[in-house]
Order: sequence, then C-alpha cells, then structure tokens
Amino acid sequence: MDHNKQPSVGQALLAAAMLLPALVHAETAPERGAISVKYLDYREDQPGLDRIRVHAPSISVLAPVAGDWAIAASATTDDVSGASPRYHTAVSGASRMHDLRKAGDVSVTRYRPGGTISLGAAFSTEHDYRSRALSLQGTVDSEDKNTTWTFGVGGSDDAINPVNRIVANEGRQTVNLLAGVTHVFTPLDIGQLTYTHSSGHGYYSDPYKLVDNRPRKRDQDTLLAQWNHRFVGLDATSRLSYRYYRDSFGVSAHTLSTEWVQSLAGGWTFTPSLRLYSQRAAHFYFDPVYGASTGAPFPPGYVFGGAAFTSADQRLSGFGAVTAGIKVAKQIDQDWSVDLKLERYEQRGAWRAFGDGSPGLAPLRATSVQIGFTRLW
Amino acid sequence: MKTRTSIRTVLALCATVAGLSGCALPPVQPWEKGQLARPDMLIQGDGLATRFNEHIYASKEAASGGSAVGGGGCGCN
Repeated sequence: MDHNKQPSVGQALLAAAMLLPALVHAETAPERGAISVKYLDYREDQPGLDRIRVHAPSISVLAPVAGDWAIAASATTDDVSGASPRYHTAVSGASRMHDLRKAGDVSVTRYRPGGTISLGAAFSTEHDYRSRALSLQGTVDSEDKNTTWTFGVGGSDDAINPVNRIVANEGRQTVNLLAGVTHVFTPLDIGQLTYTHSSGHGYYSDPYKLVDNRPRKRDQDTLLAQWNHRFVGLDATSRLSYRYYRDSFGVSAHTLSTEWVQSLAGGWTFTPSLRLYSQRAAHFYFDPVYGASTGAPFPPGYVFGGAAFTSADQRLSGFGAVTAGIKVAKQIDQDWSVDLKLERYEQRGAWRAFGDGSPGLAPLRATSVQIGFTRLW
Repeated sequence: MKTRTSIRTVLALCATVAGLSGCALPPVQPWEKGQLARPDMLIQGDGLATRFNEHIYASKEAASGGSAVGGGGCGCN
C-alpha cells in the first residue's frame, strides 16, 4: 500500500476497507493487519422484572500472510447474569442464573486471481453447553469482477448438560449450506442475495423452561437481500436489508433493517439505524391460558408424561419487535478509529405484522451499549 | 423432500440473479468503483458488532442466521 506522509481521512477509510474479508473487491489479500477491541453492555427488562444482563469484551485480529493468505480470529467472553421467566413472561418463580460464556473463531483464507477459499472453525463453551463448528466457504468472481458467487458448507456439534440434570449428555448436530451472489449494479449500487439452509437434529428443548418439549429435528431456511446505495452529493450511504426466515417448528419471520451512514467533517461518522422484526409463533407454542384443574403452567388438556410438543417460551410466540440505534464513529488518523453505538429494543405481541401476535405477554425491552476501537498495523 | 425444496430455491435464486445481472445496466468499469470501496459500502459491516447483534437477537427471537455458515451455537436459545 502506498503510504502518503499526510494521509487524508478518506485514504484512511479506504485503507480500512481493503482490510476487511469477504468483500466484493476481495480478489487480493489484505496488505495490512488490523486489531479491533469492543466492549458490550446489555441489559433487558420487562415490567416488574430486571432480566438478563451481559458484559462482553471481545477482540478480533486480521493478519495478512505471505501475500496470498490471511488469518482472521476473534475471541469473546460473555458474563451473563440475571433472571429469566420459566414460562411465558411470568415474573413469579423466574429462574436466577449466572454464567460465563467463552467463544472464539479462526479462519484461514487463500486469495486466488478468480476468487477465494476459506476454512473456518468456531467454539463456544458455557458451564452447561459446548459447541464446536467447522466451515468451508468459497467465492468465484466473474471476469469483469462485478459479480461474486459465494458457496459455503458448515457443520456444528453441540453438547448439552444442564445443571438441573433434567437431561444429561444430550447433543445437537447441525449441517448448514449457503449460496449467494453479490453484484455491482452501478458505480453507486451494490446488492447481495444469500440463501441458507440448516438441518439439525438432537435436543432443542429448553431445560430451564417448564412444560417445554420440542421436536428433535429442526430445518431452517433463510433468504437475505441486502442493498447499499451511495449518495455522493450528501456524502452518505444507505444500507438496506431484508431477511425472510422459516423453520420446521412453524416459525416464519420477516426482518427489515436500514442504516443511514452520514459522513461529517473531521473524520466523524453518524449512523442512525432502525430494525423491524416480526415472527409467527411455533405450531406447538401455547398461549398463557392454563388448564382449569391443573393451573399454570400447564395448558388445557395437558397430559403428564405425554409426548406432545409444547412450549411456553416467549421466544417461540408470535410478536413484533423494533430496534432503534445510533452509532458515532471517529477516524482519528490513518491507523486509529473509535466508535460508540447505542441501541434500544422492544418486543410486543401486538406488534406482529401480517397477523395477530400472541396475547398475554409482557413487553420485553433491552438496551445495549457498544464501545470499541480499531488499529491498523 | 426438504433437500429438493432447498435445491429448487437455490436454482430459483441463481436464475433471478442471473436475470438481474444481465439486465440493461452497462457493466461497471474498474475505474468507476472508487465509491464502492468505501467501508460503508461493504455488504458486511463491522465484524464484532455483527457477532454481538446476531448473538443477542438469537437469544430472544426464534429466527437466526442468514449470512454465514458454521457459526457456533450457544445455550442461550
């Protein structure tokens, strides 16, 4: 890379762009390395109950190797504590928990004239859960470099040993496939379409929820469309994405996300964002209406010891959610940048789109703060 | 049956994109890609922030994934 003695902010941004993997112009390996550090503070609540709180420092490193190779790695720890309802959003009897999750991943990428190939591995450990994953992903560029095809295959193997010993030595194995295409439509427009399919079998129930018995097989499909447009006159970029999701539990979901990246003088960037989400309930989710003789948390007609699939997990209900965020970033010089992001999230049954949401659930609210820096080397 | 559906979806996806790629827009030349090299024009954004968000959303919503393969699971969902 050609280093000017007095690099401009624009050049610094361009330099940062060249470091990122899996981008549309990634036919050449990165020439400089990068290290990023971030810290997340997350807390959620519902009326009458402070729920989960998370502190999560993380680090990522990108290192170019021997001209045509790059190694990327990241590590994080999640310190998770707080309360979680045992069924629906019931405050009474909510379980208290504290856990430390450690997770990391590493990938090696080989850059060739017509594309790339990457091999990745990931792991995650908690005191009652361990996950290991492998992935292989390749890209192929068209001759004019305006279209990039992406193909990927991955697999994960999870081991589950809940502390309440409701089950022991359970597991879950998943295979996932990806096919996508990125296309440069104009000098100011780029779009990407990605399809993924995931097929898993094993233990999907939540051992800490009451009356929770889920199928031992789950197929998931997603279709993700993303579009970025550059407004040169405004020195701004719009980033749009839409994801359709469906699975064999009967859940279907729509996610619409948008960001407006506004560049300002002095290397400042101001990015407001909005995310809209809506999901249909799983077919075995039941509303908070309980049997006359058994009472909560058992649904009417519940058979003790039966094999019927049931769940009162709020995450499988029908609801809508809105996230509003703001990110402020500052490019200090050619090598250093810092950023701060604030987000507010709320989900409610009444906010479900394209149908009625699940009744009787308390709204869930969350606030997150992310602060970080990146250093090029 | 599920696999056949997935294959059909991929083929439909390929056909759609091939059609879009071949529409009347003239090909963008290498010297016209300066704006596309900006960080905010990259399809994939901040890696660590994306991991945070995907992890958090996967812990409180049923839908997850869509942009990658081989991610590790967790006990949060």
